[in-house]
This record gives sequence, structure tokens and C-alpha cells, in this order.
Amino acid sequence: MTVADEFALEADADVRAATGAPAPRPGRRRRQAMGALKYVLLTFGALLMVLPFADTFIGALRSPADVFANPPRYFPSDPQWGVYGRVFAELPMGRWIFNSVVVTVTITVVQVATSAMAGWALARYEFPGRANAFRLVVGAQMFPFFLFVIPIFFLLRFAPLAGGNDILGQGGSGLLGTYAALVLPFAVTWYGVFLMRQFFTTIPEELIEAARLDGASEWLIFRRIALPLVRPALATLAVFAFVYHWNEFIWTMTITRTAPELQTLPVGIFLLENQFQDLDQKALQQAALAVSVLPVLVLFALAQRFFVSASMESAVK
Amino acid sequence: MRRRGAPARPGGSAPYWFLAPVFLFTGAFLVLPLGFSVWLAFTRWNPLSEPRWVGTRQFEFLLTRDDAFWGTLGNTFVFAGALVVIGVPLALGLAFVFSRARGKAAWRAIYYLPQITSFVAIAYIWQFVLDDRYGLANRLLGLAGLRGFDWLSDPTMAMVSIVLVMVWYDVGRNMVVFSAAIEGVPKDLYEAAELDGAGAWLQFSRITVPIIRPAVVFVTVTSFIGGMGFFALILAMTKGGPRGATEVTALYLYEMAFQDLRMGRASAGALILFAIIAVLTVLQFRLLRERRG
Repeated sequence: MTVADEFALEADADVRAATGAPAPRPGRRRRQAMGALKYVLLTFGALLMVLPFADTFIGALRSPADVFANPPRYFPSDPQWGVYGRVFAELPMGRWIFNSVVVTVTITVVQVATSAMAGWALARYEFPGRANAFRLVVGAQMFPFFLFVIPIFFLLRFAPLAGGNDILGQGGSGLLGTYAALVLPFAVTWYGVFLMRQFFTTIPEELIEAARLDGASEWLIFRRIALPLVRPALATLAVFAFVYHWNEFIWTMTITRTAPELQTLPVGIFLLENQFQDLDQKALQQAALAVSVLPVLVLFALAQRFFVSASMESAVK
Repeated sequence: MRRRGAPARPGGSAPYWFLAPVFLFTGAFLVLPLGFSVWLAFTRWNPLSEPRWVGTRQFEFLLTRDDAFWGTLGNTFVFAGALVVIGVPLALGLAFVFSRARGKAAWRAIYYLPQITSFVAIAYIWQFVLDDRYGLANRLLGLAGLRGFDWLSDPTMAMVSIVLVMVWYDVGRNMVVFSAAIEGVPKDLYEAAELDGAGAWLQFSRITVPIIRPAVVFVTVTSFIGGMGFFALILAMTKGGPRGATEVTALYLYEMAFQDLRMGRASAGALILFAIIAVLTVLQFRLLRERRG
């Protein structure tokens, strides 16, 4: 199902709900009660979703006077808007945001490129080994992340000729402490290859044949004809990759624990925990959290449909 | 289908070039690490010295003498199981309500909020909410006249809290997956049921759930498998505490590797956990498929 289909379906259902006259049957009153209950439930759930976020935004604005009052005040009596400025002045936020942007954008671009190319090959060519390559893409998705943390860490550490290592990978620190260590292990996403393959199979064969008859090279066909036709899929994958890697922290923390200059927003905020003992600092932490959530929130507001369609595609295999 | 000897379809070597990055990646970041991992599992190695071959000793130790390992496996099952038992029905019911509501885009956006947030932010945000007497959760319970909980400092409640936060995180996505499946249920079935006087509950349990069973199987299995290997939120929120109450196996192994520097034993543990997950995955698919008949 494409994004467009999904929206058509939904619009359809909304129209039906809006115009479908309630059937004049005995259950009518009960149905009206059910109709109201529906929104009560959804609103209650929505509050549970939003309140924790609101709690942090509000907490960031509390002054020490609010915190030390007895009992502590929940709503700040004198909102400390300056805390958002202090976050940038007192924490290396600029560095973290820079690293987050560099790492996330690079991974996103690389993943979209590798997924599109591989998906295109699997969808539209017949070649010896295709079935096995496809099996690999599906099968590799089953290996959980925790299996790879230790071996990849040391494969990067002992990468030959990198970071002062000799040809046998000894003597230096290898790729640890470089952006490459944060990006390379995520250069390919099996899910992304799978997703792109699904989309490429929907392109009409005549378009490709026509281009081939005109003498277009395979790369040109891919670049000029296939890619523009799957823009929604590219956007879906890009948004998905961006959000995932903007938020990723286990791998990045493992690699950058000893390299603070490479830490991203979530890692930086996570490793600060021990410095947030006194209550004034707590507000600072809450403000930093709020700032870290903001960029994806904006992206989400602008491109919600692509992100939602990403989780749909993963389910409707 | 290409017959032997027939000319290859146009394209020649092109597909191999398109796949080259994936092949390279497979070698460097799939085959090599997995092989390395298996080899490591038969060694004793702290990265400061040379690895020493110890045969199956690490497996034997973990399975027969490491009570902590078994304890974390128990926690892992409780965590993943609770995620499914609480999370799936909740998302299913919510999807049913959602699919009949108006203003879907807005509802969906709200229920999706946690999905776009990092586990670091989620962990800290909830630490504040679940804080002592003056956290939001206990304040609200207090308004309702209820005594609050020691959400994160009581061992039992800590696991409950972790599960609830994880359900909170996942419910929006699962709801969207379910509601997509619900959209595919033929509308005339509901209309016929309504003619027969069937209420919302009957429609839900007798029409919706049986028809979207594949989606339910999918979410159940992926939630469980995901839950078995998951530890990001737990690491950020409780670090496995208090007193190991939320220490799941994946987190235990992560700490074994990067704090205690026991790379061989942690690799062996990872293989054991992976084997358990693989077996359970196959079993779950079989069980859930058979029940359909």
C-alpha cells in the first residue's frame, strides 16, 4: 500500500463517517453513548502520551524557590525562560548538535543510496544469485543488534592501517574515535533494501524497456527514471533513518565514551547524569532534554505521513 | 525465468554493481563480526591481553554456575512477555476505537510522539514523572486520594514501571499497524453484524480480531523478539537496578563486555540469548499460525 493509497482510504472512511446517516435502529442511543466513549478513551490516552513531555517542559522552568518550597510547587511561580540560554552556555550543546547532525545526515544519505541501489537490482534484474541475495536481505534482519556490538567494536579497533594501526591492525586505535566508527556499521539497512525493492517492483516494465531501446545506460535508467518514480519511498526511508539515528545512543556511547568530541546529543545528555545532583541542575537537564526532542518534533510535524508509512511498510510485508 | 544458455536479460553486470555496497557491507559488518563473535565465545579475553582458547568453558560457566545469568534470563522473559500481554491487547483495542474516530491524523500524531524520542530522553522524562512524592505520577494519584508508589526504587515496581514506559512507547506504532489492517476489513461485515444487533464488543471480537489475525501475529512476534534483545531504555532508566530487578540479559552481557571486559564470556552469552530468541521465534510463529485453523 502506498502512502497515497493510505490517505485515500482514510479520507474515504472519514467521509463515510461524516455523511453516513445513523441507522434508525433500537441501538441508536447506545451507539451514541459508544460514540462519546470513543473520544473519552482517545482523549485519556492522548493525555497520557503528552503529559510526560509537558512535565519536562514545565520542570525546566522551575526556579530554585519553587523546588525548595514546602511542598514543592508544580507550576513555576516565576518561569525561568533563561534556562534555555543557559543550556547552550553551560553545556557543550553546540558540539553535540553538530555531531548529531553530521552523523545522522551522513547515515541517512548513505542508507538511502545503498538501499535504493540494492533494492533496484533485486527488483528489476535477473541474475545468478538473485534469490540468495534476496534471502540474505530478509534473513539478515533477524540478527539482533546485541550480537554485533562486541565484534564490530573490535573490528573497528583493529582495522588495518587506520588510526596508527599497522597492516595487521596493531599499535593504534584503529577507527575508534572517528566519525567512520559511528557511520560505517550503519551504512546498509536490510529493512531499507527490502522496502525499496518492494517499491521498485511496482514500476511499469514498459518505461524501462523504452529507455533501454533509446540506448540509456543502466545507471541512467536507475538515476533518471526509476528514482524519481519512488520519491515517496525515498522520503519514507530517509525520515525513518533520520529519526532512528538521531535518537540512537547505545552504539554511539560505546564508541565515544572516551572521545567526548564525538558525542551526539543523546549520548552527551546521558553521560551528564552524574553531574545533575543538585536541584538547580535538574532544570538544566530538563531544558537540555527539551532541546534534544525539538528537531525531530519539527521534522515529524512536517513529514508525519512518511514516518507513519515507514512503520506500516514494515508490517504489511 | 532464464533458461540455461539463453541470453541474459539486458543489464549484464549492472545488478552486481548496484549490489556491490551491500555485498561489501555483508562481508565486513555481518559475516566477519558473526564469525569473530563465535570464535570469541570459545576464548577468554580481556582486550588488554591475548585471547586464550578455552573451548566450551564459557558456555558451561554461564549455563551451570552463573546464577546471575539465569536471573537475567528470567527478567528478560518477564519484560518481553509483559510487553506482549499488556501492549498488544491495549494497542488492538485502541486501534479499534481509533479506526472509528474522526480526526485520525491528529490522534495519530499524538500517539506517535514517543516513537520520535530517544530512549535517553524517555528515560529521564519518566524518571522525573515517577520521582518520589512530588513527581507528576504520585501527585496525580494524590489528587485522586490514592497513595503513590515507589515507582523506581521498589524492585517489583521498577520492572512494572519499565514495562509500562515501554508499552507507552510502542502503543502508537502498534495502533497504526493494527488500524491499517482494520481498514482492510470489509465494511459490509460490520453492517451485517449491526443489522443482527451485534454491539461494538461483538464486532470487535468476532469480526475485527479474527480477520486481522496476521497483523496480530506480526506485532506479537516482533514485540516479543524485540523485547528479548532490548536494553536501551533499561540502561538509561534503571541501569538494571534496583538490586538487579530490571537487569535483562542483553544489558547484563553489555556490562560484562564493556565494564568487566570479559569479551569471551559476553560473546558466549550473546550466542545463547540469540539461540533462545531464534527457537522462540519459530515456536511462536508455529503456535500462532496453527490456532488460526
